[in-house]
Amino acid sequence: QPGMAGVTQGMSNLAMGGQGQSAPLPMQSQLQGRPTMNQLIPTDLLNQHLDVSELSRPPPQINLPPNSSVTPSPDANCSPKYVRSTLNAVPTTHSLLKKSKLPFALVIQPYSSLHDHEDPVPVVPDQVIARCRRCRSYINPFATFLDQGHRWRCNMCNLTNEVPQAFDWDAAAQKQLDRWSRPEINHSVVEFVAPQEYMVRPPQPLVYLFLFDVSYNSVTNGLLATGARCILESLDRIPNADRRTRLGFMAVDSSLHYFSIPRDDSENGEPSMMVVSDLDEPFLPTPVDLLVTLTECRENIENFLGKLQEMFQNTQNAGSCMGSALRAGHKLISPVGGKLTVLTASLPNLGQGKLEMREDKKILGTSKESSLLQTANSFYKSFAVECSKNQVSIDMFLFSSQYQDVASLSNLPRYTGGQTYFYPGWNAARSEDAIKFAREFSDYLSAEIGLEAVLRVRATTGLRMSTFYGNFFNRSSDLCAFPAFPRDQGYVVEVAIDESLTKGVVCLQSAVLHTTCNGERRIRVMTLALPTTQSLADLYASADQAAIATVFSHKAVERALGSGLEPARDALRAKLIELLQTYRKELAGGNMGGGGLQFPTNLRCLPVLFLGLIKNIGLRQSAQIPSDMRSAALCQLSTLPLPLLIQFIYPRMYSLHDMPDSAGLPDEENGDIALPPVINLSSQRLVPYGLYLIDDGQTQFLWVGREAVPQLVEDVFEVPDRTQLKVGKTTLPVLDNDFNERVRAIVEKSRDHRSKGVGSIVVPSLYVVREDGEPGMRLWAQSMLVEDRADQGVSLAQWLGTMREKVSA
Amino acid sequence: DQWSEVEDRDGIRLSWNTFPSTRMEASRLVVPIGALYTPLKEKPDTPLLQYEPVTCKAPCRAVLNPFATVDTRARLWICPFCLSRNGLPAHYKDITQDNIPPELHPASTTIEYRLARPAPAPPIFVYVIDTCQEEDSLKALKDSLVMSLSLLPPNALVGLITFGTMAQVHELGYTECAKSYVFRGSKDYAAKQVQEMLGLSTSGMRTNVPPQPGRPAPVMGPAARFLLPVQQCEFQLTNALEQLQKDPWPVANDKRSLRCTGVALSVAVGLLETSFQNAGGRIMLFAGGPATEGPGLVVGPELREPIRSHHDIDRDNIKYYKKALKFYDNLAKRVSHNGHVVDIFAGCLDQVGLLEMKGLSNSTGGHMILTDSFTSSQFKQSFVRVFDKDATDHLLMGFNASLEVLTTKELKVTGLIGHAVSLNKKSNSVGETECGIGNTCSWKMCGIDPTASYGLYFEIANQGGPAQHQQGPQKGMMQLLTYYQHSSGQFHLRVTTVSRSLSGPAGDPAIAQSFDQEAAAVLMSRIAVFKAEVDDGPDVLRWVDRMLIRLCSRFAEYRKDDPSSFRLEKNFTLYPQFMFHLRRSHFLQVFNSSPDETAFYRHVLNHEYVGDSLVMIQPTLDSYTFDQEGSVPVLLDSASIHPTHILLLDTFFQILIFHGETMAEWRKAGYQDQEGYENFKSILEQPKEDARELVQDRFPLPRFIICDAGGSQARFLLAKLNPSTTHTTNNNYGNGNSTQTIFTDDVSLQSFMDHLMKLAVSGTS
Ligand SMILES: [Zn+2]
Ligand SMILES: [Zn+2]
Repeated sequence: QPGMAGVTQGMSNLAMGGQGQSAPLPMQSQLQGRPTMNQLIPTDLLNQHLDVSELSRPPPQINLPPNSSVTPSPDANCSPKYVRSTLNAVPTTHSLLKKSKLPFALVIQPYSSLHDHEDPVPVVPDQVIARCRRCRSYINPFATFLDQGHRWRCNMCNLTNEVPQAFDWDAAAQKQLDRWSRPEINHSVVEFVAPQEYMVRPPQPLVYLFLFDVSYNSVTNGLLATGARCILESLDRIPNADRRTRLGFMAVDSSLHYFSIPRDDSENGEPSMMVVSDLDEPFLPTPVDLLVTLTECRENIENFLGKLQEMFQNTQNAGSCMGSALRAGHKLISPVGGKLTVLTASLPNLGQGKLEMREDKKILGTSKESSLLQTANSFYKSFAVECSKNQVSIDMFLFSSQYQDVASLSNLPRYTGGQTYFYPGWNAARSEDAIKFAREFSDYLSAEIGLEAVLRVRATTGLRMSTFYGNFFNRSSDLCAFPAFPRDQGYVVEVAIDESLTKGVVCLQSAVLHTTCNGERRIRVMTLALPTTQSLADLYASADQAAIATVFSHKAVERALGSGLEPARDALRAKLIELLQTYRKELAGGNMGGGGLQFPTNLRCLPVLFLGLIKNIGLRQSAQIPSDMRSAALCQLSTLPLPLLIQFIYPRMYSLHDMPDSAGLPDEENGDIALPPVINLSSQRLVPYGLYLIDDGQTQFLWVGREAVPQLVEDVFEVPDRTQLKVGKTTLPVLDNDFNERVRAIVEKSRDHRSKGVGSIVVPSLYVVREDGEPGMRLWAQSMLVEDRADQGVSLAQWLGTMREKVSA
Repeated sequence: DQWSEVEDRDGIRLSWNTFPSTRMEASRLVVPIGALYTPLKEKPDTPLLQYEPVTCKAPCRAVLNPFATVDTRARLWICPFCLSRNGLPAHYKDITQDNIPPELHPASTTIEYRLARPAPAPPIFVYVIDTCQEEDSLKALKDSLVMSLSLLPPNALVGLITFGTMAQVHELGYTECAKSYVFRGSKDYAAKQVQEMLGLSTSGMRTNVPPQPGRPAPVMGPAARFLLPVQQCEFQLTNALEQLQKDPWPVANDKRSLRCTGVALSVAVGLLETSFQNAGGRIMLFAGGPATEGPGLVVGPELREPIRSHHDIDRDNIKYYKKALKFYDNLAKRVSHNGHVVDIFAGCLDQVGLLEMKGLSNSTGGHMILTDSFTSSQFKQSFVRVFDKDATDHLLMGFNASLEVLTTKELKVTGLIGHAVSLNKKSNSVGETECGIGNTCSWKMCGIDPTASYGLYFEIANQGGPAQHQQGPQKGMMQLLTYYQHSSGQFHLRVTTVSRSLSGPAGDPAIAQSFDQEAAAVLMSRIAVFKAEVDDGPDVLRWVDRMLIRLCSRFAEYRKDDPSSFRLEKNFTLYPQFMFHLRRSHFLQVFNSSPDETAFYRHVLNHEYVGDSLVMIQPTLDSYTFDQEGSVPVLLDSASIHPTHILLLDTFFQILIFHGETMAEWRKAGYQDQEGYENFKSILEQPKEDARELVQDRFPLPRFIICDAGGSQARFLLAKLNPSTTHTTNNNYGNGNSTQTIFTDDVSLQSFMDHLMKLAVSGTS
């Protein structure tokens, strides 16, 4: 064991070089061998009832040998909020991993909120960054110090490195620094303030270029007016601490409309519009005032936004040259980089990247349907890659009431670290629609996104990052590029074991180098340490079902886009059978357990999550799903941070009419609204007189049973009885009764992203569904009852029955 | 002068006022039968007839005129052109010998009708403004333009295009904010593209939204968004003009501004093309420099690359010239076809590419104004003059004119030289040969003004002899019919009928006596300049010489081979001098001018009537000194320079006051301000007053120069003087007390005449 001597030596050195009291205890346990591992506790999937509350339980524990970290900090290892491994015990060999059929992947979510103050991470401000000379890993709590603390050993590649000169020096206070107080050796998740070397250029300012669709559709459905007003009202929320934030605006119909906005101190404060109809080679009509500094032009920006709607109110133009507009926008901001924020209600039908209405109702549900999910025009991928190179990120806000080709358009965000936000059938005349978009868009504008970012994952020698999933451009084998780094997305990185692992602990370090929206270059580093094992049982006992479901969600999307929906569903089915078979054969001694279906307790929910995935709107077998809806769902399946993704796959359902007395009221200890217990997504759980909230994180349904009593209906909705209750999008009335208040509190609390540990702008729409009401609405809500048999999908019981047949065969 | 009465009445001067009756005789005239005609010459005394003209039957269509034979009893008139009998219209039933309609009055050889046909649209003015200018120049231009809005008729449609690196069409009809359509300066947009991009063509609307109930459909054509009545958009336009900024694109120190004049013009042409074809309109280009970008560029953006000179063009070593010329000529074809005028106002010390762009103005009857800067009064005053109005407050400009020539059978028209394009109309009046723009009896002038003059050329038909069946003295006749859109909004027809005697038997001296040497000189100058546009300079000079020698051989009296016996009749004596000065003028000697200047000078020559043209060919020189009342015309000769004289030179383009050495010394010493020197003071003032007089109705405003003997500006005078005392004729320079020595290799008038006489009498030509 090469590391042993070093460790011993390191300890003695620390005792001398360190300041004493905070020096950790000698790591005796590592010398003692294997740490305690999670126990494999089997359960019977068929006979033991699924408790859906397990879905929100933390992942299996990571059992590191004592004193694996150089400091005893409780934050020495990475919280699952940021990084989750599918396996919390890592197989030492590739063959063991292969035998297990389990995936080895990280689910990475570098940010858990839209704003830093909601989730502060320790910052290393002194620009002293200790990195390994060879593998470029950042020093972290799992590194060790040698040679009286003058050197440190890299816990990834074992190289001995010099400790930087200033490592123990407080430059601000001009005095010696207690090394043991440095955040990077106490916290696995830290942020380094990067010095000059980490910049190819000075930190760029935050730039938003808004591309407004001003064609007939967008003007008449109120998108233009709402969008403009929302930006106007959110100007104070747009990050601008360094007063460098720049905004630009373009309008798009069959031509490009540029707006030059003068500075507040100039004589003429009026904006001017420049129309460019040359779509083949879009160009900038002027070198000045198209991208303006918010602080210097605040009044004139407000003036402009106030007028924008009137400028196009009489339009008859039904053209959209959004592709050309994007090119033009790229040209405008690419010298700096930044966000192109597209608000459109049209299919781009002119100019570059022109798209056709290609959806055909007849092919929905057939094998040909999958072609609709693919990109119709190569422009969207090649342009996105170009954007990525120039640090331009694109977010698409899509509002069409007709086919808009989300499949093609979503490529733009996909490769540029952006996001596709889809508002089918949106109309500002409906206040719910207007409010939802306004709240989301305002939060979107307020998010403290990162800029010019790259994500790289380094790991202990022997491990290699093999595949990356998420919205970014995979620039080189292990580098993911993000022109803008969002705060509401998750990523998956598959890990390959290239060499047998000899260490008891391996580390995986994810680093996001980025520019903050306040003009600071920073590196967010997240180091996850995991024990290794040679035992298949340990692998299964430490497998993280939510992380595994997340990985397969990404894989399923990739398969759906590449090969089609049916192959994607088949692959999910096959993987589940494979896992069940492997478990039975390798760990349960081939025993079926008396007609049951055995699986580890910690993977108890995996079958229902896979079923949920197969039934998700993005993947399910159906001839009723417009391809835009599918494409939008696929975007979510491949970007949502884990907690939201799991909820999207297996929505949460609460019974409200009989909720506990504490539910819907502030918790006595922390003041949070208590939610009722979640219940299984099965119609067997629904009583006819009941009131339920079903929430997949994007949409909320208030399910009113066919025998709901008038008092309940009156209390919640202020209508005398059920039959007068209007179904569809709604806002609950604010009534002076306890029940109404509690229901509203629960609806609101269920939307609370912070309590789920994620950042998101989504404000789910709330729909009222009557069990005996309009069938379309009812069927839609029922499609969320994952455990039910519906449409062409099987019930959970049938699903497990089939699994048992396959496994026992 | 014997011809001025005719000129006053009919706006016409003919080179020969008796027509030869045979083709043979005609061929011996050397100078062709020609007419310099000013169709819209202001005639305030002539009544404007408020009815449609009576015309001869097709295909003749001659208009009833004083030369027609009218049988009041039979209510018939006989057309003098085709000899057809035509019935008089019913409402002429009351006419008698003593009560004739105005058009039959003997003095009504020129008469104008106001026709029932209205103009399709009010006059249109599209300002095309170069924004690559220094602030002060742009500011001055903006002021002039804003001011000009008040000079336009209130219903005139105006449009605004600005350009620099790119071209912008301002949508004046849009009121929410300043809005413009931008075109890439480097791209050659096809006509259809321009219209689509402006949303002018239906396909350009690209809209598939059905008209919405409750939404007003566009009332006028889509171009109405860009071209609005000035009374309606004055506020918007004034704002837009006042907000105009220098082109914002950065320009490196070693570069010229990028200026896409070609794109701006082609967009302007395209804007008017769709909705306003054949509606009168002017595209007014204000160029602050040469096109350096896109189609029509005349010089690259690199400053180290100089703009082309005549030598460069001569040597054919400039890459842009031919391409640019082709581009603007194509544009000129389009714009003249559409019936619109292009005016070019240059405000730049350097050239702006007039040479390449000249076709635009030349073929549309537009103005060319070449000035050093828009801050100059030369520009400001000339620009204002464009909007001069008549007594009834209508702009002195006509649009979409056509000039048609009808002749009696002896005469055929061979062509026109002036600012017009051919309408390709064939008739019996069209001759076999071609002079200028020929093979047609009808020409189009998109723009025409009261001083616009056209050279018309004729030949004698190939026939046996004069027609025998006519009574009385034989006459040759022509009728000139000018239809045009008057700025009042109605079409007018101006009819000038010219009748001249035909010569008798061969050798009839009446022909020589009818020679108008001034008209002839101007008509020959136009031919020479027309030739110079296509032929080499030396070839043209040789042609001028040959024609002069032949004319003298034919009409002078002399004994063969005895130069001393050479005598010319009075009405021929000045002609050789005119030719002498024409040879030396910047119309034919181009190497001392820039190509832009040449284009400008030639453009103006082709616009003016006889008198002003002669000033351009042979400048006038007046002398002021003590003991003399007012000015005295003196020879355009270096011998006219005296120390105690002040000279006033008028070249039409320049007005120059030259103080002789002594005069200059005294002035510098300030004598004029001292008591007892009132006389000197008044001599200093007189030429200035006279100059102001000259400038009064001069368009474009000439450059005004005051200089002293020995001063650098004096070179402008010396360049125009006959070098009677050059360094080759006079070896005692430095001793030039009484005369000025001119350093030139040009021949003097005297040696020119000597040569001429020698050659003319030798009979070798
Ligand atoms: Zn290393
Ligand atoms: Zn006739």
